[in-house]
Parts: sequence; structure tokens; C-alpha cells
Amino acid sequence: MVNNIAEGTSPLMEKVSSFFESVPGFSHNFTAIARWVFVVLAIYILLRAILSLLSSKTPSEIWAYLSIGNALAMPITHWENVIGRAKSCDINLDVKTVSKNHATLIRKSDGKWILNDLNSSSGNKVNGHPISKPTLVRIGDALTIGNVDCTLASTSLEEDKHNHEARAILSGRFTPWKSIIALSIFQVLLVIQLIISKGSSLPPSVPIVFFMFTGIMWLYSILVRSAGMTAFEIDSIAFFLSTLGLAVVATSSPEEIVKQFVTVCMGMGLFFFLCWYLRDLDRALKSRRILLIASVALLLLNIAIGTYKYGAINWISVAGFSIQPSELIKVSYIIIGSATLDELFQKKNLGLFIGFSIFCLLALAYMGDFGTAAIFFITFLVISFMRSGDFSKLFLFIASAAGAGLMVLRFKPYVLGRFSVWMHAWDFADAGGYQQVRTMSAGASGGLVGLGAGEGWLKKVAAADTDLVFGVLSEEWGLIIALLAIFSIVTFSVFAVKSIKAGRSTFYTIAACASMTLFIFQTILNVFGSVDLLPLTGVTFPFVSNGGTSMIVSWGLLAFLKAADTRENASIAVKRFKVKGGEVE
Amino acid sequence: MRKLEKRALFCLLFSLILVVGSFVYVYKFASEGSQWIAYPANEHLYTKGRLATGTIEDRNGTVLVSNDKDGNIVYNSDLNLRTAMLHVTGDIHANISTGANRAFKDKLIGYNLITGTFSASGEGRKLSLTVDSDVSKAAKEALGNRTGTVAVFNYKTGEILCMVSSPNYDPAKPPVLDKNDTSGAYINRATSAAIVPGSIFKLVTSSAAIDNLPNLDNWTYTCTGVHTYGNSEKDRVTCLKPHGKQTFKEALANSCNCAYGELSNDIGEDKLKETIKQSGLTDSYDIDGIKTTPSSIETSSQPLNLAWTGIGQNKDLVNPISMLVYVGAIAGEGEVHMPYIIKDISSSSKISLPYKHTDDTKKLLESSTAKKIQDMMRNNVQKSYGDNRFPNLEVYGKTGTAEHKKGDASHAWFTGFIKDENHPYAFIVLVEKGGYGVDVATTVANKVLQVAIKK
Repeated sequence: MVNNIAEGTSPLMEKVSSFFESVPGFSHNFTAIARWVFVVLAIYILLRAILSLLSSKTPSEIWAYLSIGNALAMPITHWENVIGRAKSCDINLDVKTVSKNHATLIRKSDGKWILNDLNSSSGNKVNGHPISKPTLVRIGDALTIGNVDCTLASTSLEEDKHNHEARAILSGRFTPWKSIIALSIFQVLLVIQLIISKGSSLPPSVPIVFFMFTGIMWLYSILVRSAGMTAFEIDSIAFFLSTLGLAVVATSSPEEIVKQFVTVCMGMGLFFFLCWYLRDLDRALKSRRILLIASVALLLLNIAIGTYKYGAINWISVAGFSIQPSELIKVSYIIIGSATLDELFQKKNLGLFIGFSIFCLLALAYMGDFGTAAIFFITFLVISFMRSGDFSKLFLFIASAAGAGLMVLRFKPYVLGRFSVWMHAWDFADAGGYQQVRTMSAGASGGLVGLGAGEGWLKKVAAADTDLVFGVLSEEWGLIIALLAIFSIVTFSVFAVKSIKAGRSTFYTIAACASMTLFIFQTILNVFGSVDLLPLTGVTFPFVSNGGTSMIVSWGLLAFLKAADTRENASIAVKRFKVKGGEVE
Repeated sequence: MRKLEKRALFCLLFSLILVVGSFVYVYKFASEGSQWIAYPANEHLYTKGRLATGTIEDRNGTVLVSNDKDGNIVYNSDLNLRTAMLHVTGDIHANISTGANRAFKDKLIGYNLITGTFSASGEGRKLSLTVDSDVSKAAKEALGNRTGTVAVFNYKTGEILCMVSSPNYDPAKPPVLDKNDTSGAYINRATSAAIVPGSIFKLVTSSAAIDNLPNLDNWTYTCTGVHTYGNSEKDRVTCLKPHGKQTFKEALANSCNCAYGELSNDIGEDKLKETIKQSGLTDSYDIDGIKTTPSSIETSSQPLNLAWTGIGQNKDLVNPISMLVYVGAIAGEGEVHMPYIIKDISSSSKISLPYKHTDDTKKLLESSTAKKIQDMMRNNVQKSYGDNRFPNLEVYGKTGTAEHKKGDASHAWFTGFIKDENHPYAFIVLVEKGGYGVDVATTVANKVLQVAIKK
């Protein structure tokens, strides 16, 4: 469809382009001014979202109360709670007969509560009966935890209403409109800038794609707003980064813009799907087994029929489309690795995940994709540490990884080659440091505000639009925007950690923290590799690097962050409960 | 849930690494960015590895060289002019490291941290130098095909008016010099050579004598043409002819080696060393980023060697610019304005950039000492070389005839200054293997100065 429209608008494009050329000095003066306007708009859009996310309070949802005696009612603020004497417990009972981690009290999606003993010394009773296995608890039931008598009490309707209102005030409101207007102006100026710099060589599909992207953004905002959502920070950052990603493709390989746009749409599709899917925790938990089998199969398929590209066999071609299975598996890896609080206390679950992780790492190593293997490993570290909290295991894993890394250096000489250039790129400016030196030279040429989209030359260097994309951003958009892109990713990660306080289930918080750390580590490898602070590994910058699978997966992983955003009415990935047990929608 | 709060700090560790690393990069970006952009693969500034931006002009606005967008380096169409300016501008292959097109690359590019290499006017920058191409042409013609250098600067401001080095060639067609090259055509002799000074060094010895010897006005020496040190007949200092009884002033005017050998020993190694150090000769001057080669002068405790050091022979090697600056200090009564060559930087769109030369002065000798040496230098010209060599000029000078290799003709030197309110110029002339300074170098100096004072 885009191509048909493109044919129709081709003469128009030429007219516009020749009009710009006919006004003396227009082109140059436009760029001279627009480069500052871009920076101002970017700062506005991103700082607005970043500051809102970082300053937001994530007030707790109150699901029920645990009444002890007549006076004390402890609010239960998570779906998953540990009851015990330890300070780290969600429900802290500082009584000697209560074990440090005594029991878990967990709310199911259907509103039922389950009490489970954690090998406590004094045991638990429900309505006077000692329990030996997970036991259903109803509102009003009497619980004996250790020898503390308490009652599970519901929240009253009035209280509920008050809580919601208070939460809404604390959550704050972030409406999309100002950001969307600023981003639309940004996109219009971007198209003009591209027409100026590329002239008639710019395919008409480029302006059309940006036009459609602007439309989709508006449509998304209207839909989300009319559904009553009050948070739009994460989404606006993703839209901004995707705009930069499309701009990178428009300057480096404009003929691929339609493909990249389609993958943005597919990514948003995956994002919506996962947001919906993650709303139901039981559903998400049940799918892990199937995902695990599917992931193993996909990796084996990759090894069997994969094609060799840029030093690794990590592509498979299906019906004319090349996809990177290892990218897609990032999404399922997060789901498989995340666990509920109950599972945190069961060792066998972690064992299965460790096994799956080792399989993934071996498969990636066999494929020669050591960059992605490193990303999986760091994600594994985050997940396993969040699940176990065990430092000794952490060191053990890191040590074994270091050993494996040395083996890689020993048997893969080209990897060693990258290490020998590391920190000495300028000494090998036309050999091993070729790409890094050019990234720095072009990047510094852009100064703080860039030379204008389409005006750079770094794009001519191999893999500039993927591995060296930070350099392309610096050159054409300036250091400020390039840094803002980095800080956007940092903000995601900080927000993921912040959201733990009011998290419903550890499944969501582990998924959010793991996926955002994956983003962070990927950005570290991409950015620092391209500017010689780390060896060049060839991984993508989330949302910004050219590459279909990477774009889809970036949006997909963002759903995990959305699912952890429990601010009042904030997230389409979070179910809203008004009346006990009932849903709003 | 609460258990996870602390464990999640592990995730923040990675964010911290990303943030800290970004700041490290920003620091490198700010401190090394100007070097990164100067890498010849940078197509914003280079075409096929050649600088593709910037124009260099002389003080009168004559375009010396400009770099067009296709990477062509276009020189002035006057062959004589562009050859005379060779060592100032540099050649198309950037063989001359001190050439402005190479040495001032960063200034031509007009890079700054904020706007990068973006030029608001769409054009490159214009570098106006302090040199005068007419004076330089005169110097080149006066040197002819002889090896040497002529440098002139304004001792009241520090502006370098002329800096010509020979042998030279058409910068658009550089010759290929082999590894064993001895011509030194790629070297700007004014800034980058150190050569036996001969008698011009007696100016420094004189300064040491004035500062350290009492009763110098009554000091005399009777020259027999030879002064022996120790027992061996070989260990001697000689003059071309016996000068007879010499006062201090006469000894300089006649450039009496025997007298200066004796003076050097009267001063002593330590005091002479002190004066040399103070004279700035052994320093490297920074001319807008071009570093001059320091002179090297070895004093000796051995009387014969110390005598020859004071005469400007022995192992003395003097850099022409540093000697010029020293003479400038004599003219400036002890203080000198440091030499510079960039007059102004502007963008082609006539928007003047806030470029400002920062004047820097240095005291190289005592004011009273400088005045006494001035008096003696004037006496040299009046009594010894003859004012008629320099029509309409009040020249203060000292010649040198430096022996450097048995069988080769001596290097001819002449350095000094003119006292002229509108043209306060100090100069230095070197004609290698030129013969006698008093004949050869003074003629070159006169030709150059005659053009300079008409400006």
C-alpha cells in the first residue's frame, strides 16, 4: 500500500524538493535553525516523560487487611506476601513464635487467598485447623500464624473508594497531548530536513511512512485516553525512540523504511498482545511450559537451517523474511525466568530455568553470536539473583562465565582480535579500530546539536545503522539527543525498580527488572562498543538500531514494564479492580 | 515482595555503569573531540583525505591558499608569491609540518564543541596571517637559489611580517625527497632549524659581560690575531687579522674573536650559562601552536672551549626565531612581545569571530644592558658595516660568519632591528655557505627592509 501511495506522490516530492532549492539559502538556514529546534523538542518530550516517571509516587493498592486483635489492621498491599518475623517480610509479625519467613499469603486472579506454610517451626492454622498444604482462605477466616491470632478482613466499599481517589491523586496524571504535539512537530521538521538533505533521491515512501507513523501515534493516544488511562510516559519515550530509529533508517537505507515501519507496527502489536496477555497472571504462568518448548525448538531450528550473516549464524529466512530467533527468544526467556513468590521458595523451579539458560547460552555460542550470549547471561544473572538473593551463587555464575569467556578467546581468534584493539582504536584506525574511530570522528563532528538528519557520512560505514547507531545519532542529531536516548533507557530501568514497592506479583517485577536490565546491558554494549570504551560486540540499541526483529522485540519487552506499572489507571497491562474480586472492564 | 526491593539494586548497578560510562564518554568527547574530527576520514572536512574547507590570507588580504569543497588545495596564482610563502602555508601533500594549512587545521575547520563542524555560513573559515606576501617575495628573491632564511617581526607587537626559508618550491608541485635528502626543503629553517651562529652570538656574550664584569668601560684587549690557551699551539683562538688595542665596544664592531674569547673566560662558565638561560635562546617558542626548535648551547669549564662558545662556534647551534626574539628584546629595551602569526579568524560570511590574539611579553635582559647593546649595535653599523649599505634606514645590527665544516664557505648571518616609529622591525638573515655576513647577509637584509618600510 505504501508503495502505491509512494508512486502517486513522487511528482509532488520533486516539486517540494525543487521549491526548497529555488529559495536561495533556504536549505542551509533551515538546517541551521532546525537543529536547535530538534534538540529543544527532544528535551521537552523526553524530560517531560523522564521527570514524571522518576518523580512519580507509586502508591500501594490495598487488597485486604489482616486484623490482629481489635485494634491493629495491617493493610495487605501486594498480591503476594511473605508473613514473618524478618523485617524484609511484607507482613511483619515481630513475635518470637513466628519464624523469620513463616508463611505466604497469596491472592489469586479470582480474588481468592491462599495461605502456605514455609516450613515454619510453629505452623499455621485456618479456623483452628492446622494446615499442611496451600490452603484457601476466605474473608473473615481466622488465621493462627505461629500463635498470633488474626483475621483476614476485606476493605469496605467506602474505604475502597477513598483508596482509589487517594491513589489517583498520588499517581498524578500524564496526558499524552503536549508530548504528541511536540513529537508531531518534530516529525514534520524531520521530513523537511530529510527532503532538504537528500533532495530528489529521497524515496517518497519516507515522508509517507512518517506521516502514517504520526497518525498511528495519534490514534494510539486517543484510544488509550478514551480508555481512561492517565499515564503515557513510557509510551511517549518509545514513540520518540522509534522516531529516531526510523530517522536512522531514512538516512542510512531509505529503501528499507517501509519494512522498518511495518516492524514498528508489528512491535506495537506484540506490545498490545503482551499487555493484554500479562493482565492474567495464571494465564501467563501456564504458558511458560509451552514457551520453553517452543524456544528450544526455535533455537534448534536456527542451528539447523540458520544462515550466516555478519560473523554469526543467527538468521533464518522464512518466505522472504529474515528473522533473528535469538531476538524473539528474549521475550519468552523473560516470561520463563520470572516467577511468583511461591516459586521463589521452591528450588526445583530455578533448576529448570538454569538448565534452559545453559541451553540458550550454548546454542548462541555455537551460532557464534557472543554479543547476544552476553546479554542472555546478564539477564540470567538478574533473574537468578532476584529469585534467590544468593550472592554466592552470583559469584559462582560470574566465575564460570569468565572461564567460558576465556575459552571463547582461546578458540575464536576474531573475538580476541576485538579485545586487542579495545582502548587502542586510534592505533588501528584503518584496521580493527576502523568502525570505532569513524564513530568518534563523525560523532564529534555533530557537536551538541548535530549536523542535521541525512547530512552525515558515518552511515556509509558497515553496520553503521545497527552497531554504530550511537555515532549516527551523535553526528546527525547531536550529543544531547544521543545522550537523551541513553537516559531514556536508564529511566525505564529505574522505573522498573521503583515499581517493586507497589508490585502485585514478583512475576511482574522480576519480568520488568530483567527486561529493562536487558535493555540497559544491550545499550551498554552497543554505545560503549562503538566508542571504544568496550570491545565492539555488534548488538543493537533498543528501538533505534535498524533491524526488524530488534524493533519488534524492543516493543515486546516494553510490555513487561507496562505490566509492572501499578499506578492508578496508568497501564493497559494492569487489570483494574473496583469492587473486591470484580473487574472494572 | 519486599525481599525483591534490595535484590533489585543489582539492576540499578547496570544503570549506574551506563550513566558513568556515558559521562566518561562525554568527558572524552569534550577533551578529545577536536582531535577526533581532524581525522582525515571525516568527510565533513575532508574530501579524499584532503582538507576541504578554509582560506588563508596574508595581512593585506591576498589569498595565499584555499581548500575547496572537492578537496583541491588552490594556491595563489603568482608562482613567486606562493613559492615565497611555501613554508608558511605548507604544500599540497602537507610535507611541511609547520605549514599553516596543516598546523592551523583546527582553526580552519572552525570546530567547536557546541555546533560541531557545522558552519553557520555554509562556508569554511578564513585565517588572516600577520605575514606580508610582498616582503616575503622580496626575501625569497634576495635569497635567490641560496639556502637560508629571512625572518622579520614587529618587536612592539610580536607580529611576524616575513618568514621565508630556502630552498623552496612550488607548493602545488612538491618534489619527492629521498631518505638521504640534505636540502631540507621540507623544513622551515626559521622555526625548525638550529645552526652554528658565529659572531651574532657575541650579542649574548656581550650581555653577560655587561651584567657581570665591573669596569667594562675601561676594559681593553690587545689583539695580535692569535690567542693561545694552554701549552699547545693548536689550542688557540684566531682573528682574520690583528685588531690591535680594542675597547669592549670596538671588539664587537670588529667582531674580534680573541677579545671575546678572553671576555668569555673573564665572565666564567656559570655566569655565561645564566645569561644564555635568561636569553630564551634555549627555549621553544609557541607561535600560535607552532613550536620552535630550541637552540642548544654547551658551555665548558675548559678555557679554550668556553672561548669558542662565547664566540658562537664550539658546539653552539642557534634557532633563527629564538635569536630574532632575543634581538627584539634588545630593541625593546629588555622586554619583547612574543611572536605570533595569526592575525584574525573570520567566517567567509563576514561575521567576525571573537578571535583575539593575547599579547604576551617576556623580559630577556636588563633594560640598562639592552640599552648598552643597542648603542654598540648602532656603532657596529656606523663604524664597521657602513650606513650606506642601508639607505634611509637607521639599522642596529650584528653580522656573523659561522664556520661549520672545513672546506665549505661559512654561513653568513646578519641580525638586528631598525628604529622607526611606524616600522619597528627586528630581522634575522641567514645565508648558508654564503660567505661573509658583512657582505652577503647585509645585502639581503637591506633588500627586505626597503620593501617593508614602504608598507
